[in-house]
Amino acid sequence: MTSSPWGSDSGAAVSVASLSKRFPNGTLALDDVSFDVPEGQVLALIGLSGSGKSTLLRILNGLHRPTGGTARVLGVEVGGARGAQLRDVRRHVGFVFQQFGLVGRATCMENVLMGTLGRVRGPRLGVRTYPVALRREALDQLERVGLASAAFQRADTLSGGQMQRVAIARSLMQHPALLLADEPVASLDPESSAQVLELIGRIAREDSRTVICTLHQVELALGWSDRIVGLQAGRLVLDRPATELSLDSVMEVYRRTGGEAPVETPQLQTA
Amino acid sequence: MTAIVGGAPARIAPPVQGRQVVLTVIATAFLGGFAWSWLSLDMSLLSFFSGLGDVRSLVGRMLPPDFSDWRNVLSATLETLWMALIGTFVSAVVCVPLAFGAARNTTPHPAVRLVCRGFISLTRAVPEIILAALFVFVLSIGPLPGVLAIAIHSIGMIGKLFADAIEQAQPTPKEAVLSVGARRFQTTISSILPQALPSMIATAMYRLEINIRASSVLGLVGAGGIGFVIQGALRSLDYQAALAAVSMVFVLVTMIELLSSRVRQSLLGENTNILAVRRESAWSRRMVMRDAALNRGAAEEKRLSPPWTSERLLRSGSAVIAAIFIVVAFILVDMPLLGALPKYPDLVRVLGDLFPPDFSTARDELIKGMRESVQIAFVATGLGLFVAFPLAVLASRNIVVRRAVVLGTRIVLLLLRGIPELIVAVIFVSAMGLGPVPGTLALTIVTATFAAKLFADALEEVDPSPREALIAVGASRKQEFVSAVLPQALPAILGQVLYVLDVNLRSSTVLGIVGGGGIGFLLLGSMRVLEYETTGAIVISIFVIVYAIELVGSLVRRLLR
Ligand SMILES: Nc1ncnc2c1ncn2[C@@H]1O[C@H](COP(=O)(O)OP(=O)(O)OP(=O)(O)O)[C@@H](O)[C@H]1O
Ligand SMILES: [Mg+2]
Repeated sequence: MTSSPWGSDSGAAVSVASLSKRFPNGTLALDDVSFDVPEGQVLALIGLSGSGKSTLLRILNGLHRPTGGTARVLGVEVGGARGAQLRDVRRHVGFVFQQFGLVGRATCMENVLMGTLGRVRGPRLGVRTYPVALRREALDQLERVGLASAAFQRADTLSGGQMQRVAIARSLMQHPALLLADEPVASLDPESSAQVLELIGRIAREDSRTVICTLHQVELALGWSDRIVGLQAGRLVLDRPATELSLDSVMEVYRRTGGEAPVETPQLQTA
Repeated sequence: MTAIVGGAPARIAPPVQGRQVVLTVIATAFLGGFAWSWLSLDMSLLSFFSGLGDVRSLVGRMLPPDFSDWRNVLSATLETLWMALIGTFVSAVVCVPLAFGAARNTTPHPAVRLVCRGFISLTRAVPEIILAALFVFVLSIGPLPGVLAIAIHSIGMIGKLFADAIEQAQPTPKEAVLSVGARRFQTTISSILPQALPSMIATAMYRLEINIRASSVLGLVGAGGIGFVIQGALRSLDYQAALAAVSMVFVLVTMIELLSSRVRQSLLGENTNILAVRRESAWSRRMVMRDAALNRGAAEEKRLSPPWTSERLLRSGSAVIAAIFIVVAFILVDMPLLGALPKYPDLVRVLGDLFPPDFSTARDELIKGMRESVQIAFVATGLGLFVAFPLAVLASRNIVVRRAVVLGTRIVLLLLRGIPELIVAVIFVSAMGLGPVPGTLALTIVTATFAAKLFADALEEVDPSPREALIAVGASRKQEFVSAVLPQALPAILGQVLYVLDVNLRSSTVLGIVGGGGIGFLLLGSMRVLEYETTGAIVISIFVIVYAIELVGSLVRRLLR
């Protein structure tokens, strides 16, 4: 296994050990994956479609349960967490989805406010059901992602890049210690992609937050992240500081297909 | 031919497909059912036309309508409206938790889902007028039994469509809200409810339309509303007063239908796509721009609540108006909700008395009545479809080019649909006497207009590109209709034929309540003499037939897909 320069447990935001996930239909999506992520690091997770990137992130947020090994997030073993304990971890972990996950009929402000649902009690429907202090903060977060003027617009009237920024503002409402982003720019055009990635990077550095982000554009990942981890057919095959890597060596992840590669490995589309 | 086929002999007829077999079997079964029913009901075109003559002479005696008792008629009409409103409202309220329990993506447990689904489909089993008749026997005459019957029977449709709307909500927002650490309940309210709400409101509006028709006939069994007035007038041979009451029903039904379809259109057709906005009127475009400016302004001023855009005003305004109407309805309807409290145990007891059902006492009449109901349904469906199809073609904008013809046909259809079928049946029975022929005739006319509307919708949904292709090769309009329009619309139309048969079977089981033939007569009779076990047997038989048709219908629809 590739040795990791970040071996120690101390100050790790995420610590994954021998993690595996086999879906009920038999697919082995993760196979004995181990790595630690220290606080404040920006990590790019790369790999072919079907290599297990989304599965890994979803396990870290308790949306999937591992079938083997452990995943500690912010000091909590998420594989065994349930109910209130799981909600408590999720409250401190932001998740940015490829498909944004906005409620289209709700205003941007209300979507951002939904980021506080882990802290406020009771059901909420409509901006006015949230406390004023939270609304003020939501406006600030929207301003931070450059969309304050769209606060009262319906989310489904925005462009893809704008929607993703609203989704990021929603995560910011959680004051997340860890931000997980699953292909946050995969459905965006190059310009919006650059904007969104820049935003995530800025947030990470300004507030020194830990970020794990899956990406398909390798050259973007190289210039943007501190560290690159590569998955192939559910196995960890690359783990290096971004500065030590060249584009060619990263492309190896996409080229080498071992014996246990997924059956229908798609053609490589170079990013 | 190419070599790929190998040694197989070239065939010039396509292989027989399962689909065609299914179609043939259904068509044969349907025609067979029709012929059998026609013969055993002793139908003849002669009896049909002489029946229509009787109806015409009765209508002659109804003219001009006599509104001298207008106070009574008006208050009965309003009572009809209030009953439908309350019934629909109560049903919708009950359906919200039921639907969230029944939807796959929100149910707390698969077992809960099963229970909710089962309850929802069970409530539809018994026609509302039969429920109303039962309740009248326990709670005495008045609107309360009518409202209860409407509320219970509506759960079947409202609950099912609410659950469908919830299941159609996108899963990604739900996941996103879950991922911030929200509880399940919070997630459902914040991410799924807003997505499902427009469709849920549209469903309630649509059901209100249906329930207005229902509540205008419930008076026939003493459950309040205008049906009582109509029946009284007909019984005392005061035909002109009867027409006055019927015309009020017509106005009420048509008004609610127009209102509801307008509201539903704006709820479901709503589109924030700019292209769609651009097609709208200059006024609505101005409103959209004004709203956008208001939103921007509010954001720039760092306001913490959304501004009163016209969209928000419209939404809140409609909610307030709806709430006022419902409150008014509860106040005005003479409905001793609490006064009837001591009687609710009786209600449960009577429902319990239906069991165990007694199939043996009235066995022969039961079989005869059921057979007659099925036959009425077949004949009315067959004849109705025969009339409906040409009407549908005339009502389709994409087939008939003359707008005046289309509009004229649509208006005639709308007007004819304005009188609920049981009221048509009551009038026909008054004109022709008791028996299955007037019932069949009434059901035929209602079927024709109902099915014509459904077929026209199916024809209008046809994809235009194959039609253009055929016109481009020089096909005549008739050829183009047969080769490009019909095959595309056929699956939808066949599905609707089954649906119409399903609806007619339900209707034909209650025609007997007004003397229009079939099992309904026996049903009412058994209740009058308090033979509830026989009532139970009849209700169960109706349930079995309706359920069987529904199963066959969904099976066929799946095969045709
Ligand atoms: N819910 C599920 N049930 C069964 N198999 C699943 C499920 N989710 C994912 N898989 C399988 O697990 C494997 C890894 O999927 P995953 O979504 O993690 O890949 P990915 O690296 O995110 O791919 P992509 O780049 O396309 O998003 C795939 O083979 C996929 O088919
Ligand atoms: Mg993925």
